Amino acid sequence: MEGFFQALAAGLLIGAVYGLMCVGLGLIFGVMRVINFAHGDFMMLGMYTAFYLFTAAGVQTLFGNTVGPFVAILLAGPVLAVFGYFVHRTLISHVSGTRTASLEGEGHYAQLILTLGIALILQNGGLIVFGSVLASIRTPLSSSAWELGPFFDMSIFLNKARSIDMIMSLVVMTLLSLLITRTRIGKSLRAAADNPTAATYMGIDVDRAHRTAFALGCGITAIAGGLLATNYPFHPFVGLEYVIVMYAGVVLGGMGSIIGAFWGGMTIGLVQQMSTLILPTQLQNAAIFAVFLLIIFFRPQGFFGRMVERT
Amino acid sequence: MLRIEGLSAGYSAKPVLNDVSIEVGAGQFVAIVGPNGAGKTTLFKTISGIVKPSGGAITFDGVDLLAVPPPQRAHLGIAHVPEGRQVFPSLTVMENLEMGAMTESGRRDWQANIERIFEWLPVLKERRDQFAGTMSGGQQQMLAIGRGLASSPKLLMLDEPSMGLAPSTADFIFERLIDIRRQSGLTMLLVEQRVAEALESADHGYVLEAGRVVLEGNNDTLRADDRVRKAYLGM
Repeated sequence: MEGFFQALAAGLLIGAVYGLMCVGLGLIFGVMRVINFAHGDFMMLGMYTAFYLFTAAGVQTLFGNTVGPFVAILLAGPVLAVFGYFVHRTLISHVSGTRTASLEGEGHYAQLILTLGIALILQNGGLIVFGSVLASIRTPLSSSAWELGPFFDMSIFLNKARSIDMIMSLVVMTLLSLLITRTRIGKSLRAAADNPTAATYMGIDVDRAHRTAFALGCGITAIAGGLLATNYPFHPFVGLEYVIVMYAGVVLGGMGSIIGAFWGGMTIGLVQQMSTLILPTQLQNAAIFAVFLLIIFFRPQGFFGRMVERT
Repeated sequence: MLRIEGLSAGYSAKPVLNDVSIEVGAGQFVAIVGPNGAGKTTLFKTISGIVKPSGGAITFDGVDLLAVPPPQRAHLGIAHVPEGRQVFPSLTVMENLEMGAMTESGRRDWQANIERIFEWLPVLKERRDQFAGTMSGGQQQMLAIGRGLASSPKLLMLDEPSMGLAPSTADFIFERLIDIRRQSGLTMLLVEQRVAEALESADHGYVLEAGRVVLEGNNDTLRADDRVRKAYLGM
């Protein structure tokens, strides 16, 4: 019983960060309908950006070992957003948005090859620049825990770094959902996602909306990556491990639903941690996809997927 | 206000519009009628910049419209109420109206506009928090019109507002449009297959067939024309 609650707590903590990671991808997919295979590698870049901001750019000396990593992680968000902005402007925009009308399959084939190519360049470029040694953004909090309880003779231990990760992830998620639901920019992103042609009639620059979504998506996933890096060591090929989880989360949540992507990621975190109760750790990912298939079997549109047809 | 001269356009090699010239003066209500596939929707899409013309010129308020990027055209004062309504299904009624008010003038006049829109189309007020995708066709059409009005346009372009609606709903929407026009004096360009109603209320009409303007004139001239009477008015 204690093991169950411990796994549940661990699942919620990691799930919140997975959720944020999926939201970054979900935003890009939801608004642009672009399958971005390089998203895991943007996250890898976010991890290294946070790492170097912390160690080399003076964040460590300024904020110390405990707060410093989290400051660096938050700063990595805007850095990767700017990077994403330029990647969209120079590459992605050629095969997406309003330019795709004349392309085969609305540009989807070109998008697949392009984003796969970007992924390969980032992975191998990362290997050259960062090297193959495992890096991590450790804080003293990574190896200490808060004890909850005891409730009925059992205590639950919450890793301090992961708990702060979860809180930061929820804060970023809340800010994003306020941006999407309340502001003019957020609403125009949703309008461009719903119907790009009608959005153009309203005077919304759809390509610019896409660029905003792409930049935001990259920044958010970079923050999620940095948060993961406080407990998981990373390397230039780490994106591959996570991009599959991201897609599973986005599909589970319902394609096009941003809040759904968060719950999809949360589900994956929970399943992954809970599965360790009955399965060997090596089968964690198998368990994720067994549950994934099961959910999709009964609810093919995902948790928050819309069955309402697009007009 | 809007002057279209010798416009030709089409998808890939097949021309849909052939040397079309149309003029809409300030304060006028102009109707373009014609059968399915005559090129009416393509004409509107060309004005809005979704379709690139192969020849001809469009000027709006003295501005060469073809040199203006498509998303900027709404900001000049052109509101396009598209064929098939095309409301934003996952946005609420209110959010749809706000999207209409993305233009500078729409933002400035938002408060006054929204009051008038709710007065003309009260169903939008009742359903302000409902998702547009869950409304009926007639309600969506009213929302599409409201969304167009929310931009404080100089020119309101309506592409078949009666399409796919029950005749009584279509009649109601037509009456609303005539009311709106009478009270606001807004310049309107209407494309319609319901020829009788369109010609009755318009100041000036064009008949578009197979991508060409075959006839134009004020409503008396058009309704007196034998071909129009036979082909469209069933007389």
